[in-house]
Amino acid sequence: MELSYWWILPLAAAAVTITAWLYRPRRPPKTRPIAHGERLTALPEYQQALRRHRTRLTLAVALGAVFLAATATAAARPIHRTTEQPEIRNRDIVLCLDVSGSMTSTDAAIAAVFEDLAKEFDGERIGMVIFDSSSVQLFPLTDDYQFAAEQLTQAKEALDSGAGSFFDGTWNGEGSSLIGDGLASCVQSFPGTESGERSRSVVLATDNFLSGNPIFTLEEAAALAADKKVKVHALNPGDMDYGGQPDQPGALLKAAAERTGGTYFTLDSPDAVPGIVKEVQETEATSYLAAPRVVIADAPDWPLGVALIAGTGMLLLGWRLEP
Amino acid sequence: MPSLLRRVKSKMFIFAHRRTLTLLDGEYGSVFKGRSLDFDELRAYVPGDEVRDIDWKATARHGSPLVKRYVAVRRHTVLLLVDTGRNMAAQALSGESKKDIAVHAAGVLGYLASRHGDDVGLLHGNGTESRFLAPRSGEEHLERLLREVDASASLDGPASGIAEQLDYALRYLKGRLLIVAVADEFLPDTRTETLMRRLRGRHEVLWLTVRDAELAAGPAAEITAKPGSRGQDSTDVGTGQGIPLPLAVDAKVRAAYRAATIERERRRQDVFYRLGIAEEQTTGSDDVLTSVFALLEKHRSRAFTARISTKGGSRAG
Repeated sequence: MELSYWWILPLAAAAVTITAWLYRPRRPPKTRPIAHGERLTALPEYQQALRRHRTRLTLAVALGAVFLAATATAAARPIHRTTEQPEIRNRDIVLCLDVSGSMTSTDAAIAAVFEDLAKEFDGERIGMVIFDSSSVQLFPLTDDYQFAAEQLTQAKEALDSGAGSFFDGTWNGEGSSLIGDGLASCVQSFPGTESGERSRSVVLATDNFLSGNPIFTLEEAAALAADKKVKVHALNPGDMDYGGQPDQPGALLKAAAERTGGTYFTLDSPDAVPGIVKEVQETEATSYLAAPRVVIADAPDWPLGVALIAGTGMLLLGWRLEP
Repeated sequence: MPSLLRRVKSKMFIFAHRRTLTLLDGEYGSVFKGRSLDFDELRAYVPGDEVRDIDWKATARHGSPLVKRYVAVRRHTVLLLVDTGRNMAAQALSGESKKDIAVHAAGVLGYLASRHGDDVGLLHGNGTESRFLAPRSGEEHLERLLREVDASASLDGPASGIAEQLDYALRYLKGRLLIVAVADEFLPDTRTETLMRRLRGRHEVLWLTVRDAELAAGPAAEITAKPGSRGQDSTDVGTGQGIPLPLAVDAKVRAAYRAATIERERRRQDVFYRLGIAEEQTTGSDDVLTSVFALLEKHRSRAFTARISTKGGSRAG
């Protein structure tokens, strides 16, 4: 507990002193002279009443002092200063979707999940990149969640139908599913090269089924991501077909993802996507805490409460003191 | 400063009917003019004259009442014994200063005396000193006495102590005097009572009490009090102790005060009755005349009984 305007207190004390000095009784109060006061003052009833009167006066003075002190304290704005370390959501997420024919249903599920998530985002930025033989940035990192949600809805619909102008520009390269290039463009869509305060993650949905000759191999793209401190969370819907050798597409993808500090999931069906995305969110959520921050909160309840009680007491006493 | 005596006289004439004034004259005459066996003259009856002074034969001859006048036994001396201590500067029951009422009462009595050609003296003072102004006749002298009283009693003077004046009178004043004491509602202690008894034995004593202010003002007292005196704290001039107003209007305190006042008054009356001193109370300058008249009347009836009993051989009082 401390005071924001501590100088109010000496000011209030000075004001009280000056007022008391200004209104000091300059001449003795006008009373009527009487003789043989013992006619009244000798009575035990009077003595008793006098004691009561004195007690009340003392109490009134004390209450007045408490009232003044409490209101002065309230005027000085008492505050609670606490240090807290809030969990802040300053992640950047880029959805990196392989839109080759085999992936559309998974992509649609991911888009749907992020469409829902975007409604709850607060501080996060989300971007989306689709790729096949070449990559297209659907929308850059943004915190305009309404826009993002709109884009995601459109993406979801297009992915569901699997046709239309949505996929324009993804076949400009040679081959298809140039995953290394796609991941590299996703990584490039984070601004700057040095890692800032914001955490970066890429949700990469691909079966890692490469056909063609990419400029970046998956390993190079993963190295680039690790360089920029981008975590790659890979979702693979087609990891059940090829044994357990380390040069399998799934194993390669897993190695790439884990190299960047990310995670690797295999998907049995698009229905599993929400659970996985949630898991990704949770692994991310705990790890980011903002710098300790001082939080200042007004705490006028005590002085004002005391002032209220003292004021009420003064009113009651004044009522009793008034003849 | 306007003449105090003139003020007293104008009040006497304005507030008292002429009839009352002559009544007072007759009353004074029959109280203080002694009777001797030396017949002086017959004169017309004035209300207030003793009925037994009426010369019935002469009245029957003349047709209207005539009273016998005798040559006075001796030259009379009236001594005004006035308390001029601090207490007398305090408020009376009417809200006026008790001093003013004392001046008024002394003026009325002195004026009556001077109309009858008697000497008027003054003994006044407080608890520490007494001052004596030798009896002399004449209105100028009376005016001087009244001014002396008026100037002596002030709020910053010494406290009252009527016993000192009584002591002074007993010590230094010889010869039989008509003493009219004007004091406030004090409760005589043993010493004062003894002094009063001795004074009563040596002189003729009349006692006029100026009633003190009501302390715990009841609703009835508030009506009679001056408007300015309401809603004010009081200060005891004797002790300097203040009496806060909220206490004075407290119902319980007021009830106790009323009972105590009645008891105190009873004790005072007892003292005066025991001593055989005629005592009358006055509340303000409005009823000074009435009080003086009642005092004279009371004293006359008591003096009369005293004289009868003296004739009978036993001493009363």
